[in-house]
Amino acid sequence: MALQTPPTRAPRELSTALYCYGVTSADAAASQPNAGLAGVSVEPVCFRKLAALTSAAPPGKVRARRADLLRHFDVLAAAFERGTVVPLRFGIVFDDEASLVRDFLEPRHDELAGMLRKLRDRVELRVTAHYREQAILAEIVRESPRVARLREQTQGGGSPPLLMELGELVSAELQARTARDGRAILQRLGALAEAYDLSEEQIEHQLLRASFLVEPTRLKAFDEAMEELAAAQAGRIDFSYVGPLPPHSFVSLEERR
Amino acid sequence: MAIATQGTASNYLQRAPSPSGLADVVELILDKGLVIDAYIRISVIGIELITIDARIVIASVDTYLRFAEAVNRLDLTQTEAAGLAELRGDNGGGGGGKAKGMMEGAKDKASDAKKGLKERVKGD
Repeated sequence: MALQTPPTRAPRELSTALYCYGVTSADAAASQPNAGLAGVSVEPVCFRKLAALTSAAPPGKVRARRADLLRHFDVLAAAFERGTVVPLRFGIVFDDEASLVRDFLEPRHDELAGMLRKLRDRVELRVTAHYREQAILAEIVRESPRVARLREQTQGGGSPPLLMELGELVSAELQARTARDGRAILQRLGALAEAYDLSEEQIEHQLLRASFLVEPTRLKAFDEAMEELAAAQAGRIDFSYVGPLPPHSFVSLEERR
Repeated sequence: MAIATQGTASNYLQRAPSPSGLADVVELILDKGLVIDAYIRISVIGIELITIDARIVIASVDTYLRFAEAVNRLDLTQTEAAGLAELRGDNGGGGGGKAKGMMEGAKDKASDAKKGLKERVKGD
């Protein structure tokens, strides 16, 4: 059998590796043609009540390309339209379907099913709030006599020690306001949410970056609260408000071994 | 999911159905989401994280001088008080412990945080 007609198609090296986007319940799972990483189709792999949303993994390591990052997000968003979904972090690959079931769906079945139950109908709403620099600095000048005085003294260029004192004072005032206003917003919104996830990174002029897990019946109240906050703080604090998103920030597994 | 997705009728703020920038998407899918036991491959390459428009809060001479300069440049006649007061006073006491600890931790965390900060991803 030395001579054989060559195959019409060059034999591709078939990878069995599966990229996994998230987990949904088997009855809500659906294929998503061409929606996956590199444009391949997303197919559910079912095990009992669960379905992992997967696609053929690209060869080698997963590159965090812009298009693929968005695809990961969009696949989950589309699944979320159909039902509850547990989002996975970007970049999780299983060797093959058997290992996906053996290492993930089977040992974690009850935990995942419980998570899907708990997150049923819940949505993630993401809120960030930033000060407008001009407005908040002006407020500090108006409300702190010491800042106002130092500002007067350093108009047209003060001595370095005076400038340092002014700057340090402004910085302290700003931090105090950030903490106070951030806390107030968090309290207001947190009261309408089942849970929240607060980003602790301190970014300049940012009072709050948080996700809220909200029941659908509370969505309207949350919208109204956001509207009130934005109206009351117009010109002083800018908000961004995004959702409903799949519950990216509210999923975790118990650590094992 | 049968949820009304129209935003509020507000002129001030509209709820956006999905993040507007790649940075927000990245934060959700690289920082959040389920992580599985270590033995399952998490294989990502090619992420170049750059911190651009987000300055980590850090107490430094530079920051102080920058604020001093900004305050000196202010034109106070142009910045009338917007509706403040709303957030103040009534909610002053007893915030969540988590939020309370934020500022204290900020300085120590600042250098670490810079590394973890994902505000921009250079993608293709």
